[in-house]
This record gives sequence, structure tokens and C-alpha cells, in this order.
Amino acid sequence: TRAAARARPLSGPAPVTDVAKLCVCDLLVAECDVNCCCDPDCSAAEFSLFTTCSVPIVIGDSRLCSQKAAIYSLDVEANPPERIFKLIDQSNPSIFCIHATNYKEALSFSPSPVPTSENFDQLLEEFGSASFSAEPGSWNMNTDAQDSSDGNETYRYEYGVPIQTVDAFLRLPSPVVSSWCSDANPAGFLVNQATKCTRSVSVEKCVDIQAVSMLFYINSSILAVPQSSQMVNITVQSIVVQSLNGMQTLVNGSDGLRLPMILAGLCINVVLGVSYHITYTDTGEIIEAAAAFVLGAINKEALAIQQSFGISFTQVNTEPVPLSGNPGYVVGLPLRAGFKPQGYPFPVGIVCAALVLNTNKYSQFTILQSIANQDCLAAQGARTPILFGYNMVSGCKLRITSAMKCQLLSQTLLDLLKGQNFPEYVASFGNSQAQDVLDWVPITHLHTSEQTMREFITLLQSSCQIPVSLEIEVKWTKYGSLVNPQARIVNVTATITSTTLQQLPSGRERIIPITSSVVFTDISSPAEPGYKAWPTINVKLPFDFFFPFV
Amino acid sequence: SSSQLSSVPLQVLFWVNGIYYVCYFIASLAMIFCKSEVYSYPDGFLFSDLTLLFLMAILEALRLYLGARGNLTEAEAPLGISLVMTPGSVFLGVYFLLWQAYVLKADVVLNSVLLLLYGLEAVLKLKTIAAF
Repeated sequence: TRAAARARPLSGPAPVTDVAKLCVCDLLVAECDVNCCCDPDCSAAEFSLFTTCSVPIVIGDSRLCSQKAAIYSLDVEANPPERIFKLIDQSNPSIFCIHATNYKEALSFSPSPVPTSENFDQLLEEFGSASFSAEPGSWNMNTDAQDSSDGNETYRYEYGVPIQTVDAFLRLPSPVVSSWCSDANPAGFLVNQATKCTRSVSVEKCVDIQAVSMLFYINSSILAVPQSSQMVNITVQSIVVQSLNGMQTLVNGSDGLRLPMILAGLCINVVLGVSYHITYTDTGEIIEAAAAFVLGAINKEALAIQQSFGISFTQVNTEPVPLSGNPGYVVGLPLRAGFKPQGYPFPVGIVCAALVLNTNKYSQFTILQSIANQDCLAAQGARTPILFGYNMVSGCKLRITSAMKCQLLSQTLLDLLKGQNFPEYVASFGNSQAQDVLDWVPITHLHTSEQTMREFITLLQSSCQIPVSLEIEVKWTKYGSLVNPQARIVNVTATITSTTLQQLPSGRERIIPITSSVVFTDISSPAEPGYKAWPTINVKLPFDFFFPFV
Repeated sequence: SSSQLSSVPLQVLFWVNGIYYVCYFIASLAMIFCKSEVYSYPDGFLFSDLTLLFLMAILEALRLYLGARGNLTEAEAPLGISLVMTPGSVFLGVYFLLWQAYVLKADVVLNSVLLLLYGLEAVLKLKTIAAF
């Protein structure tokens, strides 16, 4: 009894996580996060650049009487500043702190069992009723089990997961702090990226620099699913050779590797750009990978070159369709527009036909682009795409001499304002398909004249009108839920304003401004609040409530 | 005889133990209810802890009654039975000190004091029985 009076010292419940290894500010893979003192990817030089520690302390469960704490701090007195890491035991002064537990899963969530074909019946029996109790003995606890891993079949790539290769990750060099290339940027699955960065080179060492050789970008194979042994080789899709003055030619023929070599004082076959195209299935598996290269040459004076990298993903058995939003238009993406194909009479055409669209999404709906010298007749063909949400005004100046014929001038100006392929229909949603003709909004054309009614009489005498302005008004509305409204185009009106061209005496000339503009108007109706019905108490006695008496 | 064989310190201890045990019981019960709300307390553990607490209360009441009666009437038998029941109470005290589902610091303090009281009582009971 005396011995029992002295309590045997018990250790507290075993910590589930190691506080020295837990770091919540370590967000970037294989890169140092700023002001994150617990990041294992940071070196001492990088610690000396921090100003504070964003995570000063990592504590285990604070309900325990004694827990481990990892304290990170910056010693700013030292030169250079260094990070101090201390692992201490912190004790909880409260009298209700947990001294010990005898129940193994006391303070952590236990992993719930994953139904497989073997344990499904047992799980259904245990958890399939209206209520169940958490009996620790009846759970199939396996403390070594990783979270829901069951061989290779549950692994797959998800959005944003870095694409794994045989040695590390598929790297897309990108500028990190300055514009110099850093090779530690992994490419994320389904994240289309395009980056440009600067690499320092020299002709003498160009054969030794790995990052300018084609081999560096295609030698490691991509794993088809994470942590598997199935590999996908990166094939060379095309090689474009760029000469010193910028002219690019496509190399046809064998797609063998072209490694950098020194030839006549230049270093040729230097990688200037890589574009990866990855084909994936809808189960998150990569089945094909191809890389398109742009190779160039550097001369003795070159100290650095700019490399551009890109990656794009295509689902297998689909054509990549350039969308301007999904489903609503995204501000800054070009308007999608097209034509009804010839020969289909309305309304049969509406039902049976699909619209014809220009394959280049930036050429589907364009307006005149202002040029430097502002002369309309010299601005042949310069057009800029209409981007959703961006009101634009452009114009030029037209010099009219007496020798100009009105009809010819009128036709030229109309071509100038509208362009070569002025579309007939505009997509109402950013992802409208060409075969859903009812999803497309027809463009309404209006003609107005600059005259007042009094001048209308003189108009009848000299019937020569030249268009001077094209105003496109796009009315759009917010469609869908209040928390995520989608932009939908309701109405597109193209108004051409004409003015009379008076005959000039010979030798005189006039300058008139020609303008074109695009205006986006939001005509969404304001949201109305919808109230739920008041809750009512629905009390009904069962029909046999007054059984023996009724 | 004029000399008094009943042990006064033992009686005082019984009295202190009684009051202390009432506080201990209320505090332990309250803490078990609190723990079952705040932490995850499976039904099996809750049932066993509550049962043992109530058992301990009954045992304690009986033990103190018999001990006090034996001491006051100077009879060896009740005091002997009380002494024999003491290891049971000690075992339950040790259970609540070491083998509960959640042992808080307050539990450690309460149970340690209780076990100390048991120890002192046991010594005094032995001495008193020897004196009878």
C-alpha cells in the first residue's frame, strides 16, 4: 500500500506528429518559402534574408501536460542573421491538462476504413444502421497503413500535382525572383503554363551547359501515374531552327537529337524554347508526351539568351477547342463569332447547320486597329481582336481629295471598318459549340446618318454616303448563381453611321476622322432576394391515436 | 477500564477521509462527465469508469462505517473487516490514478491524496487492532 501511494510516472500519450518536422508554411515543393523558418529547403544564406519568422512555434497538442515545442526565431544581432531552432518541452500549467491516456486513439482522428471488396460486408453490418458506437476494439486499426493507399490503382494525377519523372519532377524553368531561369519549377498536371526566363551562356562553354541542350529536356521519362513504374518517354514532336536574325524554319525529316556544337565561331543547336504537349486520359493518367523545340545559335558577344517554355494538356481523343470562358466569358478573352454556312435557308439552317468559325480565335471578331501614321488608306489589314469586357475605340484619318470617287470610297471604308470577314453570329457563352446554333446571338445591323431632318432633303439630291463610324455595342448579363455569376452575351448591335460627302472643288482636300468602337454594357437585372418559406410546425396526430375510443 | 483503547487519530482520519471522499466523488464524477463531452470517450471506457467510481463509493462508505464502529466499540472484527477491505479501495484508487481513459493532472492529485489517506489509515488500524 505504501508503494501504491507513490504514483508510478506514466509517459503521456505518444505524439502522432513530430513537431520538428511539421512546417505549415512550406508550400512550394523543393523551393525556399519566404519568411518560413521551418522550411527544410532553405539554406543558411536564404535564412539570412528573412525579416521575421511567419511560424514562430510549432506545438504538439496543447491539452497535454507536457508537449514538445519547436521554436523558430531569427537572431538579427548576428551578422549575417541566422535562424535559431530550439526543441523544448513545454508544460501546461492548467490543472486539467491530460497527464496520461489509456485509450490509444484518444487525441487524434483515426483513419476511417476504406471499403474494399473484402471488408465491405463487415463495414456495412457495423456502420449501416441508423447509429453506431465507436468501439475501438472492433475497428481494424493498422497503424502502419498510409492514408487510403491500396497499391497502384488508387494513385492518379490530380490538378496541380507536380508531374513526376524517373528522377524528380518534370521541370519547367521559370524566373523566380529575377529574370534568371530557375530549374526548380515543377510542371503541374493540367496547369497550362508559359514562362520566359534568361539563361547565361557563352560560346566557349555552350557544349557543357546542360540547360541549352535538347537532351536535358527529354532524357528523363515521365511516370504515367504517380509512384508507379510505368514510364512515358518524351518524344520530339518538331524542331524549328531559328537563325541569328530571327528567321525560323521548320526542320522536316528525322527528329533525332541535335546537340549543341561549336561551328565557325557560333554555337548552334542551342535550345531557345521548349513546348511540352501532354496527352492524358480522364482517369488522370499520362499516356503521351511530346516536346517541340526551337533551336537557335549564339555568337561570341552573347552573354545571355532568353528561353521560353510552355506546357499544354490535351485529353485523349478530343480536339482542343479554344474557349473564351467556361461557360461565361472571361474578361480579356476574345469574342467568339462565326457565320452561317452558305446555302442553308433560314430557318432550316438554324436547325440543321453548324456555324463556321475561324480557327484562329483572335481573328473571329476584330475591329480596326489604330496605326502610327493615322492614315486610313495605309492601314491595310491591321486589326485587333475584340476582347470581352474591354471597351475599345480606334480610328484613323481619311484624306479626301476631289478626285476620289464616292462609291469606291464608300466601299473601301466599309471594308476598312468591318474587315474582311465580319461575322454574323456571336457566341452567347464562352464555350458555345458551333453546332448549337441557338446558343449564338445574331448581330443586328443598324444604319444611321449624321444629318438632321433639314439636311435630309439635300441628301436625296446627292445620294452619296460614306460610312464614318462603326459602333459595336455588346449587351451582356450575369447568368447563373449569385456567388459565381457567368457572363452571357444577350445582344450585339453594329451601328454604322454615314455622312454625306460633298463634292469638293478641285485642288482642295478634307480630312475626316473615321472611328470604330466597341462598348460592353452590363444589362443584368439586380438580384432579388429570395426568402425561404417560414418554417411551420407540422403536427398531425396518427389516425389511431384515440384508438379504443374512436 | 478507564484507559481508552479507541484511537483518536484513527477516528479523526476516518472523519477527514469521509469528507474528503465526498468531495473526491463529486469532483471525479464531474470530471468524467466533462471528459466525455470534450474528448472522445467510447462507451466501453465510460461505462467501466462510472461503474468503478460508484463501486468505490459504496466500498468506501462501508469501509469507513465498519472502521469507525470497530474503533468506537473497541471491537476487532469490524475493524479487521475494514482493514481487509482496504486493499480493494487501494486498488480502485490506483485504477483511477493509472488506468482511467484520461488521467488529468487533477485526477493525479486527488487520487494521490486518497491513497496517502488509505496508507495512514491502514497503519493506524493495524496499531489499534494490536492494542485491542
